[in-house]
Amino acid sequence: MYKAVIGLEVHCELDTKSKNFSGAPNKFTETPNIHVSTIDLGLPGILPYPNKEAVRKSLKTAMALHCENPDEVIFDRKNYFYPDLPKGYQITQVTKPMGRNGYLDIIVNGKKKRVLIHQLHLEEDTASLDHFSNYSLIDYNRSGIPLIEIVTEPCIESADEAVTFLEDLRDVFLFLGVSEARSNYGQMRCDVNISVMKDTDKEFGTKVEMKNINAFTSVRTAIEYEIKRQIKVLEEGGKVIQETRRIAEDGKTYSMREKVDAIDYKYFVEPNIPPVKLTKEFYDDLRKEIPELKLERYEKYIDKYHLSEYDAGVLSAKRDISDYFEEVISYGSDVELTVNFVTSAILSTIKKLDIELKELFITPKMLSGIIDKVKNNEISLDHGKKILYQAIDKKIDPNEIIKKQNLHQINDKDELKKIIEEVMDENVSQVRQYIDEGNTYVYNFFIGKVMTKTNRQANPNISLEIIKEELERRKEYESK
Amino acid sequence: MIKDLRKELDEGKISSEELFDITVKKAKEEQDKYNSFVTIIDKYKIKRRADSILKGIPYALKDNISTSNILTTASSNILKDYVPIYDATVYRKLKNAGAVLVGKTTLDELAMGGTGTTAATGVVKNPWNPDCLIGGSSAGSAAAVALGIVPFAIGSDTGDSIRKPASFGGVVGFKPTYGRISRYGLFAFASSLDHVGVFTRSVEDAAIVTDVVKGYDNYDMTSLKDDGKSYSEELDKPLTHKKLCYIKEICDIKEYKDSEIVETLTKFQKLLDECRNNGFQVDEVSIDRRLLESIYPVYMIISCAEATSNNANLTGIQFGPRGEGNNIEEIMFSARTKGFSELIKRRFILGSYILQKENQEKLFLNACRVRRLIVDRVNEIFKDYDGIILPASGKGAPSFDKSTEQVTDGQVILENHMAIGNFGGFPSITIPFTFVNDMPVGVNITGRAMEDDIVLHIAKEIESITGLKGLKAGDRNV
Amino acid sequence: MIEKDKLKEYAQKLMFDMDEKEYETLQKEFDVIIRRMDVIDKIPNLHEVKPMSFPFLLDDRSLRNDEVGDYLTVGEVLSNAKHQVNDQVKVPKVVEE
Repeated sequence: MYKAVIGLEVHCELDTKSKNFSGAPNKFTETPNIHVSTIDLGLPGILPYPNKEAVRKSLKTAMALHCENPDEVIFDRKNYFYPDLPKGYQITQVTKPMGRNGYLDIIVNGKKKRVLIHQLHLEEDTASLDHFSNYSLIDYNRSGIPLIEIVTEPCIESADEAVTFLEDLRDVFLFLGVSEARSNYGQMRCDVNISVMKDTDKEFGTKVEMKNINAFTSVRTAIEYEIKRQIKVLEEGGKVIQETRRIAEDGKTYSMREKVDAIDYKYFVEPNIPPVKLTKEFYDDLRKEIPELKLERYEKYIDKYHLSEYDAGVLSAKRDISDYFEEVISYGSDVELTVNFVTSAILSTIKKLDIELKELFITPKMLSGIIDKVKNNEISLDHGKKILYQAIDKKIDPNEIIKKQNLHQINDKDELKKIIEEVMDENVSQVRQYIDEGNTYVYNFFIGKVMTKTNRQANPNISLEIIKEELERRKEYESK
Repeated sequence: MIKDLRKELDEGKISSEELFDITVKKAKEEQDKYNSFVTIIDKYKIKRRADSILKGIPYALKDNISTSNILTTASSNILKDYVPIYDATVYRKLKNAGAVLVGKTTLDELAMGGTGTTAATGVVKNPWNPDCLIGGSSAGSAAAVALGIVPFAIGSDTGDSIRKPASFGGVVGFKPTYGRISRYGLFAFASSLDHVGVFTRSVEDAAIVTDVVKGYDNYDMTSLKDDGKSYSEELDKPLTHKKLCYIKEICDIKEYKDSEIVETLTKFQKLLDECRNNGFQVDEVSIDRRLLESIYPVYMIISCAEATSNNANLTGIQFGPRGEGNNIEEIMFSARTKGFSELIKRRFILGSYILQKENQEKLFLNACRVRRLIVDRVNEIFKDYDGIILPASGKGAPSFDKSTEQVTDGQVILENHMAIGNFGGFPSITIPFTFVNDMPVGVNITGRAMEDDIVLHIAKEIESITGLKGLKAGDRNV
Repeated sequence: MIEKDKLKEYAQKLMFDMDEKEYETLQKEFDVIIRRMDVIDKIPNLHEVKPMSFPFLLDDRSLRNDEVGDYLTVGEVLSNAKHQVNDQVKVPKVVEE
């Protein structure tokens, strides 16, 4: 049996107002060369000035991935010539990266797997090249955008694990709010290193590198193809060549070039960025900004709130939904009802209106108010949702609606009994069906009638009890 | 000198426009003979609303300082057509102060040289004797001030690129503490050693100009927070820091056979005696010879290594002459092959070799370690002394035919010690102190980091001892 | 003595070339310079010293606040580029690595 050994290098652009080392805007645009400063262009005489927010966000990510963090901010130069690198060097981190020796736990096919993080560092993106038939064009908008690179240990064993890791890593970025990580904008990109070995082998096989894959589906295709290809090469008695391959649209990988001697990047400490100490207070403040991540929430929902795996999955998938849910609960609202309201009414509404949760008129506080009234039987679940939709529609506080329309539920048994008696007197043939044929379908008929008569204010549960009792009473009365 | 010009301008004896015209005329007259300038400005431009002591005063900038809409070549063919789109901070400050730029001065190509002979536009000659070099790399700035064309000029100093030509040109050359003047817009040679500084004909003028151009800059993270001092005003107060020392190993006359060096060192000791007579304490201190002998190699290693990287932006793609070729590698290759002189290429190859993985520990990192040992030792000396005083050069400027002569080990230390000021970012000033063989020789004073005012103050007192204030080429009023 | 081919390789990596005579000059100079650097090795216990990358360290250094500052117009970005198309710098076709 063969097994695959996969390591990932993930690049993700950070979401900041300005670039990593200059004041030019960090904003996606199709218009070339409009977000460029002297610094991003590598003009003679320019100096880098690191962005505090980029440093904070990269450190936050490293902390969320349980990394060891440095005692000071320091950068290094990576020297190489390429037309997308205007300075002739990239400012990156080697001496003291933002994080080392971390991990991210993921759940793959129901099993928990710990993916080890070798390193996380902060660097700058390159300019982008656009290729035409016989020339290329350089757009410097991307030059200098803050970029984090996360390097895993070679501990991933399948395409499933790789893709789950990437998805969960993206969720980490989203939960932390450090990046929107949109792979279609190239904000999140991935290099894959992959080799195969026999189960019994002690040493890794020869590694093949695939660079700059944007879409996660392509990562899956590339890995699956490459595992098969490499096994086939070995089975046929061949040798896997150390090389760089690219994934083509047909889902196959093709050799780009054989790996020659590793390039010597001649790293040295960036002399224009004197070290900035990172104090304990700084880290304490930063730690306060790190929310619980997806998996922690998922597990909490199951263990603490006893949600189903399905509901826990839905409610922990996105930071805003999860925060919303937790805020409603924090007001003391009933968990089961909250799950019901959020997973059905709230999610379907934002989907229907095609809006973000934060744009929704109903705040967690308002929703909590409705849920509490349902819980206390002041209004029905059905009514609760109706009020919710009305409130969203008219952008009115639901509590106002309840007050105004006097939609308080009729819970008074005597009052309900009087109404039910009236309804039955008016619908004798349905009473007959129950008495003669034992037809329990008439329950719903009478509930409907009661609701109409009470303008939907009757408590349906209490009403149903009374309807059953009243029908039984009439049946007994007749048999006497 | 600046205050004299200020007075003439204020009294209306001359307008700043007339002053500009006279300056430009003089610059042009002297250009063929000395080659101080790469570019002489034709059009008078001044910020009219400016209100500073420098308003209307003409000056020159080294041609490795970014000036928007004005050609800036760093005296290299690879930038021979480069017109910057932004102003260096030092230039912006001078502009805002109302100073009037008259020219961009010649330098050793990319500031990587100490002779003033390697500019793409030819050698710069010494105003005291055109058969001699002026030294570099800020050769044109030194020459322009020595010739009396401008009262001050801006230079840059990575090893001694201001302070050495100041010595050879008989002018004042001041390099303040690392970061005191922003480097934004100074074409980087070796970022951890590069300083912007000034040439003037008096210590007071150096203080006046530094007052205008110093200060924190949010485009230079290494720039220092403002110290809130006016250095020129500090000069009027009584000097309380008068403890100086010189380094025995550098000044030991017995070590040298060259008669001019012996003369320089003898006159230097005489100067020290006069200092003592004027209330200074001057002692002899010792530094491990091995450290002193390391100064030059450490300087070479660090500066070449950083320079290789700093000049990797010069590919002819975004700016500079475009190379020829069928693919991107070929055009970069062609631009760089044509654009750099042989000397520069040799330095780059050396720098690259030093940074190679297999050499980095032994060469680059060890040099960085020795740099620390040297700086630590000097800081230890500064616990007891306010300044170190040393000859800025062993003798006057060499003639062109002698400049390539082999130097002995002893001379290597004597001629290269000023790089200490760059290693530790110490404020360091050279002022003229004597003549040897009819050529000026400077004395250098280096002080504690941040204490620019004290270094200037000490220099001013010594200037009054030497009497060599306001010196211009040809003056011999000694 | 360092091999000439080695020096050529370094030059290639730095994206320039020299002529044969210049390589020979460099070859000779190289050994002199490298030997001069041997002085450094004579200094005892060097490995215990932390390499110095900055002239001095200060405690009050701070990072830049994340605010948009000055940046260039397209015209400025391209003002020194010799070849341009569609507001971008044009170069011969780059074969992506």
